[in-house]
Amino acid sequence: MRYFLRKLGFFVGTLWAVVTLNFLIPRIQPGDPAELMVRRLQGKDSQLDAAQVRAMRSMLGTPDGSLWSQYWDYLGDLLHGNFGVSYTYYPFKVSEVIGQAIWWTVGLVVVTQIISFAIGMVLGAYAAWRRNTKLDATITIGSTFVGTLQPFWIALVLVYVFGYSLGWFPTSGGYSASTPGWNAAFIEEVISYSTLPALTLLIVTPIGWILGMRNTMIMNLGEDYIRLAKAKGLSDRTVALRYAARNALLPSVTGFALALGGVLGGTILVETVFDYPGLGRLMGEAVQNKDYPLLQTLMLLTTTGVLVANLIADLLYGVLDPRARRAEG
Amino acid sequence: MTGSPLLEVKNLEVRYEPKRARSMTAVQDVSFDIAPGEFVGLIGESGSGKTTLATALLRLLEKPGRISAGSITFDGTDITHLDQDELRDLRWRDLSTVFQSSMNSLNPVIRIEPQFRDAIEAHSDLRGEAVSERVRELFDMVFIDHRFITSFPHELSGGMKQRVNLALALALDPKLVLLDEPTTGLDVVVQHSILENVRKLQEEKGFAVLFISHDIGTVLDLSDRILVMYAGRIVESQPAGELLREPMHPYTKGLLGSYGDPRAETVRITYIPGRPPDLSLEHQGCAFAARCPEKIERCLTDYPELLPRSAGDVACHVAQQSGGTRHFDGPEFVKSADDSERAREREVVLTVDNVTKVFEKRRGLKVERTEAVTDASFVLHKGGVTALVGQSGSGKSTLARMITGIDSPTEGRIVFHGPDGDQQVSSFRGRALRDYRSHVQMVFQDPYSALNPTKRIGQILERPLVNFHGLKGEERRRRVEELLETVALTPSDRFVNRYAYELSGGQRQRVVIARALAVLPEVIVADEPISSLDVSIRAEILELLNDLVQTHDVGILYITHDLLSARMLADDVIVLNEGRVVEQGPALQVIRDPQDDYTRTLLDAVPNPF
Repeated sequence: MRYFLRKLGFFVGTLWAVVTLNFLIPRIQPGDPAELMVRRLQGKDSQLDAAQVRAMRSMLGTPDGSLWSQYWDYLGDLLHGNFGVSYTYYPFKVSEVIGQAIWWTVGLVVVTQIISFAIGMVLGAYAAWRRNTKLDATITIGSTFVGTLQPFWIALVLVYVFGYSLGWFPTSGGYSASTPGWNAAFIEEVISYSTLPALTLLIVTPIGWILGMRNTMIMNLGEDYIRLAKAKGLSDRTVALRYAARNALLPSVTGFALALGGVLGGTILVETVFDYPGLGRLMGEAVQNKDYPLLQTLMLLTTTGVLVANLIADLLYGVLDPRARRAEG
Repeated sequence: MTGSPLLEVKNLEVRYEPKRARSMTAVQDVSFDIAPGEFVGLIGESGSGKTTLATALLRLLEKPGRISAGSITFDGTDITHLDQDELRDLRWRDLSTVFQSSMNSLNPVIRIEPQFRDAIEAHSDLRGEAVSERVRELFDMVFIDHRFITSFPHELSGGMKQRVNLALALALDPKLVLLDEPTTGLDVVVQHSILENVRKLQEEKGFAVLFISHDIGTVLDLSDRILVMYAGRIVESQPAGELLREPMHPYTKGLLGSYGDPRAETVRITYIPGRPPDLSLEHQGCAFAARCPEKIERCLTDYPELLPRSAGDVACHVAQQSGGTRHFDGPEFVKSADDSERAREREVVLTVDNVTKVFEKRRGLKVERTEAVTDASFVLHKGGVTALVGQSGSGKSTLARMITGIDSPTEGRIVFHGPDGDQQVSSFRGRALRDYRSHVQMVFQDPYSALNPTKRIGQILERPLVNFHGLKGEERRRRVEELLETVALTPSDRFVNRYAYELSGGQRQRVVIARALAVLPEVIVADEPISSLDVSIRAEILELLNDLVQTHDVGILYITHDLLSARMLADDVIVLNEGRVVEQGPALQVIRDPQDDYTRTLLDAVPNPF
């Protein structure tokens, strides 16, 4: 219990540091990003109301008020989800823009990450268990080869083959004719539209897991407890799963939680290629358009995501590896 | 031996045939039997093939290793070529094992009970509560509290883990238990009590044991019969008593010669010069001939077969002709009591004065205090050796850390009487600490990890010369050669360009010692410098350290758990128990006439075949 409370404490502390840094960085920057943003938006012939300008200033810095009162306003805005207005998507608020995109990314990337992780663990463990056989060689060499290919290139190949040549799947966007909501037509479209991006990710992402798992597991197979498990006359299945894979899984769990945290950053290239309406594409646009409010909120979101993932990894590790609990406890 | 043997090994040969390296025969033409209920010891040093043999017997060899000839018959079944599925029935139910370094043979992420349960359920009809009952019974057999049944392995001490492993091995009342160095790495006292436990259980339950060890002392204590292995072959087999009284093979004599009675006025221990042969190369004649003081012409050309003689078998031309003597006629290290008298009159180089060290560990808001060393006082003489003896956890290493200036004492002081007058060690900072380190050097326990594997020996020795003395070019090169010669790694040009992994354990430890000597220290702190070395070469390192004391005038603080080696090297002995000095005095006096119970326990635990 102590272990878990400590980890939670660390999480809260780091989160506070991140939020504070996010507050400080634009204020340390030379010039006045807030003023710049406000002007650029006005250049778009937009009518900014006072509240929007205030939110923008509290996010990006303003010369008014003491640092403390600014900080206070900033925290208040964060709590209310008030991140200002997006330049790219004017007149939508940043929170609305992100609120829409996030579900696309979470849906696509979380699902593919989980499947990739599962594929990686199974193939990696299997290759390690049958190491130095043809099967192992096929998996290892195959993975290494695929690992050298760039995701966007694979995406293009998939678009060409399944999108244009065969015409099985749509090649860009998230949906077309249907109305977003819980209706069959929309869900069907979402699945069909996300097949190619998902496939791309499913080809690329497991590689790291496969190779990582294989290597850790081969190291583990040399451990005495594996030899003892074999000497005990346990079935291969038990030795491979309960003794070898169970231990080899540990380092990957941390990696997996971190990868899930990175999801919020989106997968910029893949989403851009498929013009998929997720966070990755959003981030690409935000960078291109110098859309400070959007970019900064995305950064905050990403770092928070990584932190939460870290916390989950720590907690999970505590459950999976009894030694960690004690060493830190 | 009556009836059919339980285990029958005939002309067994194990080869390693890696794809990209020379293949080698690790076990060659090995034949022996074990009768039901017999306790057989197998002695061999590192590289002798004993662990390969054990792995082959358990049929756990992995590629590139394979059984290339001969047969293993267990309880009437030829198991040499059974496949893993067929072996599964026999495993653990009839043939179980406790591994070397079993610190690591329990699955770290699973509680202990399920690790018993899976083995029991795989081989018997016991289920549910009946299994738990059996586990409790087994825990009683090895004297471990039932509350540890549901612990995770890391919650147990090393000794407890090893007892648990023993209990696990006995879970299904096997016919043969293979113990592969089961207590190596454990504390002497713990080792002693576990082996007692093994012996008692073996008498009660009547299972047969093959006990593999590098330590002839412990094996002799326990076994009915002993096999001696050298370079992949069995060179001698005799009942334990006879082997001790009349060892036939010179190698056995050499091993026995590395023990001495620490209580004697003058102790002589011998060592075997040289190192075991490289088994990947072709050999002619007897593999031991190169190190053998008794060799004759024929040894170099004809391999001696293992043939019966007196109570056992021996593979030696000389032994087959004449009995020979019990004594190993090789190099010897002698220590007598008067040497120590002289050392005690020299000036003091280091004073440890009422030193206490308390470690504080924060647990949330509470602070936990552990007293690692309590009120320790002693002195170190120039050109003398003081031994710090105690079990692990007795505070030996904490004292060493304070003496080398890594930690500072909580109370009391450590004073160095160096060339710049008396200085308190804990006051050293920065530059002064660096200077101090050129006066005090450390020799570590494990020569395998104390040397940087990516550096050549020459570079390793140059480092301190550059750091502390700023030597360059020709002068530096000469000094490196000198150092190598001091530690008898000659000719030195054969060693400067080699890497540590190309050297044997003894040679590596010599390099570590040479490195410590490089800066001409006044004090060397040697932390168990011989405990990871083979028995037959330990005396060699002890002799080297002793020479250094005589000729280089250094004071050595020799940290050990082994009273025999303390006696061989040290003038004074300090016995530490739980951070307190329980006894100190001249080595011979402490060993002959121990005043404290703890010292007696330690002495009793020293394996002593005599």
